[in-house]
Amino acid sequence: MTPGTQFAAAGGVVARVLRFAVPLILLSALGFVPLADLGANATKVLFLTCLSIGASVAWNILGGFTGQPSFGFAVFYGLGAYTSALCINGGVNPYLSYPLAAGIAALASLLIGLPTFRLRGPYFAIATIGVSEAVRVVMTNLAFTGGASGYRITEQVPFRQLEHYYTGLALAALAVVISMLVRYSRFGLGLRAIRDDQEAAADSGVNPYVSKLAAHAVAAALTGATGGVYARYAAFISPDGVFAFQRSVAILLMPIIGGVNTIWGPVLGGGVYGVIEEELTARFPEFHLLLYGALVILIILFEPGGLMGLLGRMRRLVLRLRVGSWQPS
Amino acid sequence: MTFADYLNLVISAVLLAGTYAAVAVGMTIIYGVMKIVNLAHAGFLMLGAYFVYEVHERAGLHPLLGVALAFPAFYFLGILVHWALGRGIPVSDEPTLPSLLLMFGLWLVLQNLGYLVWGTSDRSILTPMTFATLRYGEITIPKIGLVVFICAVLSLAALEFVLHKTWFGRAVRALIQNRYACRIVGVHVQRTARMTFGLGIAFAGAAGGLLALLYPFSPDFGRPFLLRSFVIIVLGGLESFSGVFLGALILALVETFSILAIPSSYQPAISFSLLVVALVVLPGGVAGVIARKRRLA
Amino acid sequence: MAAILTLEGVSKYFAGLAALDGVSFEVREGEIVGLIGPNGAGKTTLFSIIAGSQAPTSGKITFQGRDITGVKSFRAVHAGIARTHQITKPFRSMTVRENVEVGLRFGRQSGAHSAGRGPIQNQVREILALVGIERLADMSSVTLPVGDLKRLELARTLAARPSLLLLDEVCAGLTESEMASILDLLRDIQKRGTTIIYVEHNLRAILSTCQHVVVLNFGKKLAEGPPQEMQNNPAVIEAYIGKKAEA
Repeated sequence: MTPGTQFAAAGGVVARVLRFAVPLILLSALGFVPLADLGANATKVLFLTCLSIGASVAWNILGGFTGQPSFGFAVFYGLGAYTSALCINGGVNPYLSYPLAAGIAALASLLIGLPTFRLRGPYFAIATIGVSEAVRVVMTNLAFTGGASGYRITEQVPFRQLEHYYTGLALAALAVVISMLVRYSRFGLGLRAIRDDQEAAADSGVNPYVSKLAAHAVAAALTGATGGVYARYAAFISPDGVFAFQRSVAILLMPIIGGVNTIWGPVLGGGVYGVIEEELTARFPEFHLLLYGALVILIILFEPGGLMGLLGRMRRLVLRLRVGSWQPS
Repeated sequence: MTFADYLNLVISAVLLAGTYAAVAVGMTIIYGVMKIVNLAHAGFLMLGAYFVYEVHERAGLHPLLGVALAFPAFYFLGILVHWALGRGIPVSDEPTLPSLLLMFGLWLVLQNLGYLVWGTSDRSILTPMTFATLRYGEITIPKIGLVVFICAVLSLAALEFVLHKTWFGRAVRALIQNRYACRIVGVHVQRTARMTFGLGIAFAGAAGGLLALLYPFSPDFGRPFLLRSFVIIVLGGLESFSGVFLGALILALVETFSILAIPSSYQPAISFSLLVVALVVLPGGVAGVIARKRRLA
Repeated sequence: MAAILTLEGVSKYFAGLAALDGVSFEVREGEIVGLIGPNGAGKTTLFSIIAGSQAPTSGKITFQGRDITGVKSFRAVHAGIARTHQITKPFRSMTVRENVEVGLRFGRQSGAHSAGRGPIQNQVREILALVGIERLADMSSVTLPVGDLKRLELARTLAARPSLLLLDEVCAGLTESEMASILDLLRDIQKRGTTIIYVEHNLRAILSTCQHVVVLNFGKKLAEGPPQEMQNNPAVIEAYIGKKAEA
């Protein structure tokens, strides 16, 4: 091995260790946060950020890994929220309602995917623009869920912020674990192949239709569970809130900003979005979506890998400096 | 319901279809030639509406004149956008993920620029024509609807002319069919693509202006029309222009007559349901079915 | 030898234009068959149809006794048919190794063909070595020159463990020596029991490897037979070069 590759290899091992250690350290740090007694508001922000991360990681399984962006993930969030809400009000244990929420969302994903995935073309993407709107309209008219005025959850147990916080954290962690399991499995390899070249993937034996349906179902299930956790926390949900197009937009902005098609990109994006969003909406209520739109354009034009892509570039720069000569990478 | 009532509904549907066709055509052109799903179409519709509104408010120009002005104005806007974002809009044979997301980002920017400049409240363009109707016995035709319909049909006819009788139009049609052959034959692919994008945006802006005459509008008002355009394209067959008329007619008829069966608050869900039905039953659209029948005959 | 593949009256129309018109022939198990014809004769379309990327407008295709007409490409792979493409289609985000891994993990895995072959990475290395690109294993597929891309495509296709291998102009763009080694490889693959149909323009390649040749022109089968016969067939010569000028 030449000196250059030795350094690269050493950098590789170090990088790999760091890649797993750093996020795990951060994750465990998040576990201790409440002990630091940052106050109810900060905990709330972190909780909501965990939910954002969950949805972001979920979206990425379909939009990033498989290359099928959906513009309507709010539909799963909302369906999950209402499912949990109805369950909890019906006396079901909240923690049982979350898997149910996930299941209902997964089922809904099949209804969208079955007609659209088998066709060549952008049908899926466009159909997703309409789906959350259609569901929103239907839910607004549905009397037994409160219609447009929303639906309230009444629980006998007192509100315990820490319980919600840890549930959110667990969900975010679960999302990341599932994301990793998918990514490094045979299933994930198939998804990557589909993303790169669906025709060639099919010619190599990958069943694109079933794979996409499965990825969509996993992503929908996770998002549904996130919606359920949110519903219990908020204790009040309405169609205009959980099925809003803005929410679909937020869910897809996070992975794009953080780095689509990576494990930690959506986490980064979710974290950044969750923390900044509060500030941004407070200070520049009219600007923030404009900024995000411009950000998406800049990202696609100049650094499609998002923040993770930027970090990768910086790392390569550092490696080159260490090697001591400017070699083409 | 009397026969006259039915006739009135059919007339409404036909008038609506003309408008929908004009709205959809901008997206069809861009998709057909460049395989780009222009999500920002909704944003340009909205800008078109506000353009005509501002021109009417500030310069006192008749809205129809505003629509006519919108054409060249938005054509150049389209060229500008394509030039600025060209890196992310490669001319390709298939819809690409980056182009989809790029157009989405553009849509966000346009929509929120709209909110910034014009706020969230609805606006309308009111002219003496707006509430006038023509009456023939029991048949009522809203004057403004008729005027918009005529404009839409005229612009589509002009498009047909351009596509079939000019060199540019021939280049566009060639590009739709076979990109590689175009290069060999001497068609300047990048330039034609840019002009096509401009044309698509021109139609979006003008159609938006026409819509502004019919409906109140706010920065988000493009979104339902985005979905409708796509439903029309799918119904009509993703890459045929005559299909656009057919698709528009079907959508307009379904929407108009659905009022009889479903409460009006469910209206927005209709386009989506129609889309799903169309995808399940008619991949390739109605035009595809007709083409298939013709081939087998 | 039994027929492994039978085509009966296969036609493909695109909006009234016949890309293929009533093509019928048989391929015997273990043979190397050359599919030749001028550009535009329909060779790639025929491959697409056999491999399942497209469905024929009419006609029947039988593989190992089963009717596979209209079967989708991934199912064809599972049945034992795999193809390369004229313009290579590597998975751009993946390394050479990962590309082959896709073929291995999603190809035909049932029965005697994959039993007792060992861990996946060993199999990947084996295939890379067979094709001669083992040293490129961890390189990104995007950076490879065309010769290596063709080998990668071949490796990925072989990884699917096909009984019938369809090669679309695998020699195009290669140097003399590269082509010679690919042909050796093909003969090697044939010895291991795989049937091969390949599209090729190079006469020497055809003569040195094929037992049987099928000639297409304008979507129709012009002739078929042993390569030497085809070389001297006047209709075939006319298709490629044109009629001899009247003296």
